[in-house]
Amino acid sequence: MKIIFEHEEENNTGHLQEEDVCIELPSDIVRKEPLPIPNVNEVDVVRHYTNLSRMNFGVDIGFYPLGSCTMKYNPKVNEDAARAEGFSNLHPLSPEECTQGSLKLMWELKEYLKDITGMDDFSLQPSAGAQSELLGVMIAKAHFRSKGEKRTKAIIPDSAHGTNPATASICKLETITIPSDSRGNMDIGRYKELLSPEVALVMLTNPNTLGLFDENTTEISHLAHKNGTLMYCDGANMNALLGITRPGDQGFDMIHLNLHKTFSTPHGGGGPGAGVLGVKSFLAEYLPIPQIVKRDSRYSLDYASKKSVGRVRSFYGNFGMHVRAYSYIHSWGTQIRKVSEHAVLNANYLQDLLKDTFDLAYDRRCAHEFVLSSRRFGEKSALNIAKRLMDYGFHPPTIYFPLIVPEALMIEPTETESKETLDRFVLALKKIASELKEHPEIVKQAPLSTPVGRLDEVAAARRPNLRWRPSQRQTKVE
Amino acid sequence: MDYIPATEKDIKEMLNLVGVSSINDLVREFIPAFRGKLNLPQPKSELELLGHMKGIAHTNKVLRCFIGAGAYNHYIPSAVSHLLARGDLYTGYTPYQAEMSQGTLQAIYEFQSFICLLTGMDVANASLYEGASALAEAALLSCSYTGRDHIFVKEGLHPQYLEVLQTYCEGSELTVTDKIDDKTACVIAQNPDFYGNIENMHYLAEQAHSAGALFTTCIIEPTSLAILEPPGKYGADIVAGEGQSFGIPLSFGGPYLGFIAVKDFLLKKLPGRICGMTTDSKGNRGFVLTFQAREQHIRRERATSNITTNQALMALAATIYLALMGRTGLTRVAKLSYARAHLLNGKLEKVGFRNLNIKPFYNEFVVKVPGSAEALASRLLKKGILGGVNLAEDNLLICCTEMNSVQDIDDFVSAVAGD
Repeated sequence: MKIIFEHEEENNTGHLQEEDVCIELPSDIVRKEPLPIPNVNEVDVVRHYTNLSRMNFGVDIGFYPLGSCTMKYNPKVNEDAARAEGFSNLHPLSPEECTQGSLKLMWELKEYLKDITGMDDFSLQPSAGAQSELLGVMIAKAHFRSKGEKRTKAIIPDSAHGTNPATASICKLETITIPSDSRGNMDIGRYKELLSPEVALVMLTNPNTLGLFDENTTEISHLAHKNGTLMYCDGANMNALLGITRPGDQGFDMIHLNLHKTFSTPHGGGGPGAGVLGVKSFLAEYLPIPQIVKRDSRYSLDYASKKSVGRVRSFYGNFGMHVRAYSYIHSWGTQIRKVSEHAVLNANYLQDLLKDTFDLAYDRRCAHEFVLSSRRFGEKSALNIAKRLMDYGFHPPTIYFPLIVPEALMIEPTETESKETLDRFVLALKKIASELKEHPEIVKQAPLSTPVGRLDEVAAARRPNLRWRPSQRQTKVE
Repeated sequence: MDYIPATEKDIKEMLNLVGVSSINDLVREFIPAFRGKLNLPQPKSELELLGHMKGIAHTNKVLRCFIGAGAYNHYIPSAVSHLLARGDLYTGYTPYQAEMSQGTLQAIYEFQSFICLLTGMDVANASLYEGASALAEAALLSCSYTGRDHIFVKEGLHPQYLEVLQTYCEGSELTVTDKIDDKTACVIAQNPDFYGNIENMHYLAEQAHSAGALFTTCIIEPTSLAILEPPGKYGADIVAGEGQSFGIPLSFGGPYLGFIAVKDFLLKKLPGRICGMTTDSKGNRGFVLTFQAREQHIRRERATSNITTNQALMALAATIYLALMGRTGLTRVAKLSYARAHLLNGKLEKVGFRNLNIKPFYNEFVVKVPGSAEALASRLLKKGILGGVNLAEDNLLICCTEMNSVQDIDDFVSAVAGD
């Protein structure tokens, strides 16, 4: 497959008319060399990206049990809703009389999310979960600053997403890592020892990345609060909890949700997502500006909060994702609990069918996902299994995460998969397990059916080629 | 709508295997139960849902747009949305499994290349959230590289970008200052600036470098790069900004497209994902995510940034847009935008407005209006025209693109001239 820059120069003049324009700018600020991007005709551009799309895999093609990412089906109607002219062509600085629809949608979305999580207020501004975390830690710092306290540490279990410690460190908090106990909970004994007046917040993912609901959540919250410490919930795994339990009722002071996970906005090949941050009322004054408010039946943007930490991005958030999530919530409405019930059922069904073929990291009922270890098949077995799954037409699970499970395979089926799909997946994994015993070389050579074979990541880092250069034209690959 | 395929029979069989009698018992086993009732709307069929959503969209009013200020109303070729709607592209996730994600990965490689070619920089990442937080990441990168903690911002930065920068600096315990000295990690300048002014940046770049600081250019209207000198040529070490102009709808402020590009010596400090070219086991060309040891899922608290999910689909939109427009099309976008803005400015000057730009401008400019800017804006609004951003009592920031026809411009002028 060519890269776009390797196409021969073609005629390409059709998208905009040519007009006689005279640019009168001083010579020291204008481009001196011709713009170094190619002219390719529309037909070849369309073929190029259509062919690229055929070298890709998405939920629309098949089962995508990538743990911690909630790769559920993305309803098409939500795409149509977001593309409606009134949403997609609206300038963000339009006066409020032109934006009542958007503001109403955002305001109502906040109301729904407050109800679903048990929090008192929300900001829809953060662009993704990691930015929500950043905002959450900034809010925690502002909270303690206003109380005249200097707290410098964050408690994070070793099963946490890497973003939690990365975020704490950007905000100059020192991370205290707490190990997991034999049931996959945060070790409550170690927690008690390490909880000190210097701890600003506890960042807990619940259910955690092992797919397990922390059995001590209430006690952890209680101890934190007694210590003046804030409880932050990484809500990446909210798909297990809709209508079943509310983090706000378990003592969490803040939670972020990933709308692209739980609320089915498409993952886009890596984004855009939307992270939204919910807080209890005593933290609401720190939320970013502007906030969306409703007075009588009019919606407006409120910049008044004096204690706000400021802004984490331009405008109001990934609005197009808000539209999709709002539409998704309306499709389920009062029956949204069914989403989580089936996510949990599907995960437990798969776990039970697979736990004898592989090792279960923690032998407990799981929530919406679970972690297997393939350690009995030796080193690199998780990688080899992942690659071989591609030959059976499945996207692999998340592998080597969480870091505390050797040869980890983290499997999240979601509620939108049929029993038949789950059964086929189990068959494939069992087949691969027997291949590993009988013909390990096949598994080690996998994948055999993808557009390219196993790729050399070491070479990519050792001899970096991160962009096309015009000089590559002479030495181009077929 | 109900997106769950399981039938009653399936559910029964699955529950049997798991060994519980009902789904309710299953979730009760490990989760403290919520006993309240959620105050959510009634479930809707697809038909009802679409009606509801379109109803809300209709209460927004989309007018003829003469506003820019960080969000630009450019033409988007039809092929962009058709290609983006391909499920194999938009329903995948981060290409951790490269062999199954060559489409996304190659598109990222092409995106990185386009950004480098336009900016004259050496290396770009796979995208950041949007322009303002991309600029904040540039500041964090500069502090990490130089070991210094002061940021100098030249006057004329988009006010929201400045707010975001200040929020990030507060969180990371850095300082935004008004002087360049031996504590300065980076010098930031937007070009063209918020008011549309195009500056010769060589001098500022030299000033930054002689203080041992990095020079960061912030580009928010990147179609300008089709006719302006690329930042790589005037000494920028980092270029960070917003790519919404490249084929991404206004969409009330997001999702947009943050980008960051640097000179080679800063590669290992780049935040976020980077795609690289490599070969497979048979020697065929392929693409992978590379330099992942910088990232949070490996490096945790020592990562260069906490970013994970980025704006991949928006980067794909920009890549397709740039491929479709090509050299000829993008140059036309820039020339038409420039021409329309200068045409409107000239006509406004004839009816008593005064241009306040201190430097040449591209497609955005500031005028002093006779009377109040607010009254003027509401007069334009009555004619279905979104006339500009009120900067002060009598200052209006106006933007034109190729979407503003000569007729629109005449309508604008006749609305404000009062005839």
